[in-house]
Amino acid sequence: MAAVQDGPIEPESEKESKTDALGDGSGNVSGSNTVGGTLSSSPVTASATATPATNTAATGGDEQQTLLMVLQFLKKNKLTESVEVLRREAGLADSVDDTQGSEADGGGQGSAANVSADAGDANSLLSRVAIATAASQSTAASTPAKVGGEDQPDVNVVLSAYSQQGDPALYQAYYSGLKNFIESVLDCHRAELSQLFYPLFVHMYLELVYNNHENEAKAFFEKFSGDQECYYQDDLRVLSGLTKREHMKGNETLLDFRTSKFVLRISRDSYQLLKRHLQERQNNQIWNIIQEHLYIDIFDGMPRSKSQIDSMSGSLAGEAKREANKAKVYFGLLKEPEIDVPLDDEDDDAENEEGKPKKKKPKKDNMGSKSKKQDPNAPQQNRIPLPELKDSDKLDKIMYMKEATKRVRLGPDILPSICFYTFLNAYQSLTAVDFTDDSSLIAGGFADSTVRVWSVTPKKLRRVKSAADLSLIDKESDDVLERIMDEKTASESKVLYGHSGPIYGISFSPDRNYLLSSSEDGTVRLWSLQTFTCLVGYKGHNYPVWDTQFSPHGYYFVSGGHDRVARLWATDHYQPLRIFAGHLADVTCTRFHLNSNYVATGSADRTVRLWDVLNGSCVRIFTGHKGPIHSLAFSPNGKFLASGATDGRVLLWDIGHGLMVGELKGHTDTIYSLKFSRDGEILASGSMDNTVRLWDATKAFDDVETDDFTAATGHIHLPDNSQELLLGTYMTKSTPVIHLHFTRRNLLLAAGAYNSQ
Amino acid sequence: MASPKTVPKDAQVMIQILKDMGITEYEPRVINQMLEFTYRYVTSIIEDAKIYAAHAKKSNVDADDIRLAIQCRMDQSFTSPPPRDFLLEVARQKNITPLPLIKPYSGPRLPPDRYCLTAPNYRLKSLQKKVTPSAGRITVPRLSVGAVTSRPSTPTLGTPSVQTVATKVGTPVSLAGQRFTVQIPSSQASTVKSANPATPTVQNVLINPSLIGSKNILITTNMVSQNSSNDSSSLKRKHEDDDDYDTL
Repeated sequence: MAAVQDGPIEPESEKESKTDALGDGSGNVSGSNTVGGTLSSSPVTASATATPATNTAATGGDEQQTLLMVLQFLKKNKLTESVEVLRREAGLADSVDDTQGSEADGGGQGSAANVSADAGDANSLLSRVAIATAASQSTAASTPAKVGGEDQPDVNVVLSAYSQQGDPALYQAYYSGLKNFIESVLDCHRAELSQLFYPLFVHMYLELVYNNHENEAKAFFEKFSGDQECYYQDDLRVLSGLTKREHMKGNETLLDFRTSKFVLRISRDSYQLLKRHLQERQNNQIWNIIQEHLYIDIFDGMPRSKSQIDSMSGSLAGEAKREANKAKVYFGLLKEPEIDVPLDDEDDDAENEEGKPKKKKPKKDNMGSKSKKQDPNAPQQNRIPLPELKDSDKLDKIMYMKEATKRVRLGPDILPSICFYTFLNAYQSLTAVDFTDDSSLIAGGFADSTVRVWSVTPKKLRRVKSAADLSLIDKESDDVLERIMDEKTASESKVLYGHSGPIYGISFSPDRNYLLSSSEDGTVRLWSLQTFTCLVGYKGHNYPVWDTQFSPHGYYFVSGGHDRVARLWATDHYQPLRIFAGHLADVTCTRFHLNSNYVATGSADRTVRLWDVLNGSCVRIFTGHKGPIHSLAFSPNGKFLASGATDGRVLLWDIGHGLMVGELKGHTDTIYSLKFSRDGEILASGSMDNTVRLWDATKAFDDVETDDFTAATGHIHLPDNSQELLLGTYMTKSTPVIHLHFTRRNLLLAAGAYNSQ
Repeated sequence: MASPKTVPKDAQVMIQILKDMGITEYEPRVINQMLEFTYRYVTSIIEDAKIYAAHAKKSNVDADDIRLAIQCRMDQSFTSPPPRDFLLEVARQKNITPLPLIKPYSGPRLPPDRYCLTAPNYRLKSLQKKVTPSAGRITVPRLSVGAVTSRPSTPTLGTPSVQTVATKVGTPVSLAGQRFTVQIPSSQASTVKSANPATPTVQNVLINPSLIGSKNILITTNMVSQNSSNDSSSLKRKHEDDDDYDTL
């Protein structure tokens, strides 16, 4: 573990690992990938460099070193008498301390710098252990770099995330040195090595702040923050406000960033170049920092170009390791259940209607038969338990198939009509919208913590009768479903009260019986659409829940919030069934795959992750966005995922291969809604810039059918064809588009609140 | 007197802070809200620090007190989500258990009633003089196991099925460890089977505990409003509070 937050258990393990490493003698810094290894490498190097200088210390072995450490500890706390006593009793020569002391005062040398690093480390360790940190911190931090032979003390068992590597005053020198080196390499390598700048800058800055070198930190920041890529500006702004160690405490995202390894993908040649350079110099502080905080995923092949790198970078954790995207994902659709469709015509079409995509793999051919062949890419029917179909569901499916036959086939020549539902008098408080699948109801979540449901069709909303009246009706009559409704309560809209904070996510269940709403108060509420009352409040996130969605089969739903996890719930369990943890920052968008076996989450750490519902593991990590992701959409054939973020770009991902296959530029503001048309030919995107844009999805996915995927690196050079793919831009006057929905007949519905400013 | 154009210095500082943090578009009220928050926060910290200093018998408030005050306030009001390793550990434990199988045809799939919000959260007060509890048997014309309900809206979707249960003339059912509300629709215990009792009398009678188990049963006769019915109570059990006794 690179960081130990709290917990007495971990110190012991850390201590053990370090004693082992020390026992190994001078360890080698490079090539050790394990976290424990890298952490102990620094003290090991320290001991390696320190021991030659102090002969007496080396001869003593481990015990001697420990004693020296204790001596240092006592000295720092100004327990001079104890120092004397210990020195006398342990029989340590005065000269030992003196020589070590003089070394430290010399400073500026690599070894001494390392030694001082350990002292700094001891300081930070001390501060962790002591309860009253204030006093010890101030004294320990202010003392100049004292000698510590090694930071392998028995006293200080908790290792902080930042052992100070080197003299703070020299950080600027280290960084400038690296900068000069990188600028001097060949062009082809320069782009790749430039990836190092940002993570190194942030980690070095945070290290300075954490070790209370405020002035150096500020100077460092001022000098080098301007060099960073423009898409990191938001992060840098946050960092600029962070000058003291206390500022870091509450910021979980930053803490996660410190403790996780920033992943870089660099070609082998460039890596060799870098390694050679950093190891040949005496002062290899940068190398230590790289070892500790960066994970370099080496690939064999051509170095990437700047544009390729830019398209994939931007996330808070770097890029994704190649093996993170190697797991098999069953992205196929589940077989539709066989339903006896009492249709007079179009029998075959109806049976095969599964939302057929235009593009199909040749194996999956369901034309005109009850195909027994299992799609190799589809999950088993019983991979996850799914609710069985009730009679009402079967009726729904029949309706669906009927509507599907009347569906308009869209294409670049036949664009959908767009019907816009504008929420008036919302006073900028409309925060979430959802449509039912058959487009009969709209629900809106508002910042005043209400949920309102409207009927789109002329049919009004009615409540179920009370039990008294229900006992009177004739249960055997044919229209019993009509009779149970209370006519007196018919109205165009209903208001649902219950939440105590703005509603950020809303979702209808596929059978139109339930409505979910997630709110800033940390709960997700299930409302009944028969009685228009709240049924359950699911508590689990204790922080704002930014999004929620029912699964396409009902029963399961997913929610994601500020606590950086997404949770999978079932309506009949009051606790979540799965917790998807791994994001570094808030989970802002959660969507189910069409086969309900996978959940996609988009986060403020600018990555999209795909999780397996069966075991909660993360099967895909997609990086490339430069801002928090606010919308996700799966294509109807289940193969592709589209994501939209605050950077105004829509990125298209191939789930099976785990690669980016398209980038749609055009929007100028956050994209809050993405929807594929019913057959997957058109992708509609709605944004805060008051436009709806239609993109040619078929063409976007066709273009990358080539076998670039099989290349080991999987780096695609994406053609900049956003203009060709853009089929139309439709502007509203001043209504940001919050939600999009294709009706079953491929009419596009859009919703937003009129913003009068 | 300051002209209306000059903005107070605090507000200017706040505007500058917002600009530095990259916030360019905001309503004018935001500055006032931020200033209010700042004032309230600083005041509470300093007051806390004063208390700590007094506790430590110091005459002046110093930096340590302030630091301690900030620390305590952070842990209390401005909590942050759990750290990553904790979340990963919890997730690992949760994700190991297999997904539970789904029982077929079980009606609305909701958690146990205790975790739902479907129970009534009110109880009607009795209007009339209460009948003193009489020892001995009281024929219970209708024993409905369930909630005291006069809710205008039906709580459950399964109401049709409830009818059949409730119209059973209940003999004292063995009640294990639960409190039940038994509803007598009217003061006349004999007129039983009417679905909609009309008389609005309410009586609270306590059955002799020796009659049924060791648990006390509160019998209330509901005031019948136009929407309510006593046999419409759901099958759910309600946990009676102790304060039901004070109605006797």
